[in-house]
Amino acid sequence: MEAAKRSKTLAKVWSFRYIYLFLVPALVWYLIFAYYPMYGILIAFKDFKYNLGILGSPWEGFRYFKQFLNDSSFYEVLRNTLSISALKLLFGFPAPLILALMLNAISNGKFKRVFQTISYLPHFVSWVVVVTLLQKILSPNVGLINDIRERMGLEPIFFMGDPNLFYPLVIISDIWKGVGWGAIIYLAALTNIDPHLYEAAQIDGAGRWSTLFKITLPCLTPTIAILLIFSLSGILNAGFDQVYLMQTPATLSVSEILDTYVLKTGIQQGQFAYSTAIGLFKSVISLLLIVAVNNISKRLSGTSLW
Amino acid sequence: MGVKRMSAADRIYAALNYAALLIFCATALYPFIYFLALSFNDGYDAMKGGIYFVPRVYTLENYSKAFNNPLILNSFLVSVARTVLVTVLSVLLTAMLAYALSRKGLPGRKYIVFFFFFTTLFSGGLIPTFILYRQLHILDTFWVLVLPSLYNFFNAIVMKTFFDGIPGSLAESARIDGAGELAVFSRIILPLSMPVMATIALFVGVGCWNDWFTGQFFIQNEKLQPAATFLNKMISEASFQSMTSSNSGSAIQNMNQAQLELRGVTPEALRMTFVIIITTPIICVYPFLQKYFVKGVLVGSLKE
Repeated sequence: MEAAKRSKTLAKVWSFRYIYLFLVPALVWYLIFAYYPMYGILIAFKDFKYNLGILGSPWEGFRYFKQFLNDSSFYEVLRNTLSISALKLLFGFPAPLILALMLNAISNGKFKRVFQTISYLPHFVSWVVVVTLLQKILSPNVGLINDIRERMGLEPIFFMGDPNLFYPLVIISDIWKGVGWGAIIYLAALTNIDPHLYEAAQIDGAGRWSTLFKITLPCLTPTIAILLIFSLSGILNAGFDQVYLMQTPATLSVSEILDTYVLKTGIQQGQFAYSTAIGLFKSVISLLLIVAVNNISKRLSGTSLW
Repeated sequence: MGVKRMSAADRIYAALNYAALLIFCATALYPFIYFLALSFNDGYDAMKGGIYFVPRVYTLENYSKAFNNPLILNSFLVSVARTVLVTVLSVLLTAMLAYALSRKGLPGRKYIVFFFFFTTLFSGGLIPTFILYRQLHILDTFWVLVLPSLYNFFNAIVMKTFFDGIPGSLAESARIDGAGELAVFSRIILPLSMPVMATIALFVGVGCWNDWFTGQFFIQNEKLQPAATFLNKMISEASFQSMTSSNSGSAIQNMNQAQLELRGVTPEALRMTFVIIITTPIICVYPFLQKYFVKGVLVGSLKE
């Protein structure tokens, strides 16, 4: 029996042999480019030396973890990361929903399509381009805003160098870049709402706002809930590209985040083990968060990533 | 909802909504219009300010200097070569992976999917990746711009979901006629999947074109700088000489200060021009793929 079963399985595997061949390039690539760096995480526990290799370098235990946990600048970086993420969630999360509701209210299909196409544009340009646009528009040296201020007889403002303006600028540019793209999911959910619901509401004499709050938003709640809890799991990602490109020496006290700190301590200062330890701290917490959030989502709505 | 007379209040709301959306679209477009005007304006004249929509002292000098500058031209060639190569390879490789994963009854499929999916939840991080590139000897070569960008599991999921929607009977009857897996894949699946291939090509291509990070930290040789990295070095040099950015090439500095000013083009006008040049290919491509990528995003968000 056992042998027959095994040979049946083997026969099945054999019949799929060419399909496995299709998988070979991907398996090899993922082993090298995704799994080998996971093995490289070991250097967080080692005094890494290139000539000794990853395994050959001497063990240091949790020394680097203790080092950053005792370092006050680590807590500043953590605080900045959480502040930026929380503010993005607070202001940036509702933005695509509002845009989708506004687009959905447009009855002329052609206008709607043109508006949508334009709204996607910022998503497709690089953060490097967005930050260049921002720097020029805000530049104290004949930038758009300061040019206009000067014509009105006002003093120029050094936008990019002011720590108080850093978070507002991060949030505004993040919304500017992502709102159109983020609206796609809500627009699809809006088209899935049963039109009979609206007809019934109209017959009952429901007004614009009560239709919005009693029909539209409740129908969108599952979508909103899922997107919200999954953005919660990304709380340690404050947006590397954007923040790194926008920060200036004058704003470092509020703009240094985990990802930029890992980059600077690691690649620029060469503290490989220390940097890897902080990166590992971040990856592990993020993994735990996504697993937790996924379980919550599964229980609440039956939707899960796996 | 049938034809229904709009009340006065309805009309006011509709007008306000249109107005708000028009302002929003203007905000999305205006920075590019501003840069377009500046890129066609004489750089020294632009220093006086007051250019908001159209050039005041019209010139093509910025573009001609940009296209005749060997470093700028070279950075675009690197970006084009990288983007084309990665897009073609990645779409093909991702399709092969997605096809295998979409085959029903594949023994061990659950474990295979987990093997790939896990990498989207957890990764080795920056330094182990850097060490890997060093050990592979791809640092500071063209390959560091190509090899690490070949796969993205999210794209494979989008393709797999599309393949799942192709009726199995088509492939089945081909197999009965004696077609091998490669023939089924290349003659049946791929020709039916052009929309999803175009979507993934757009995602991969835009990602490569916009990537400044790889060039900034894994490439030293200025002959191998992609355009996005070059632009970043232009900004960081101009605004914050002392900024954190590593190895801001002194060549660019020399080029900016010494040569260009002598030739009647300001570094700033050149930057504006560079932004327009680097953005134009994207603006020319994405609107035509809109109906496809919207579907792609939805598939990805449902089955992530």
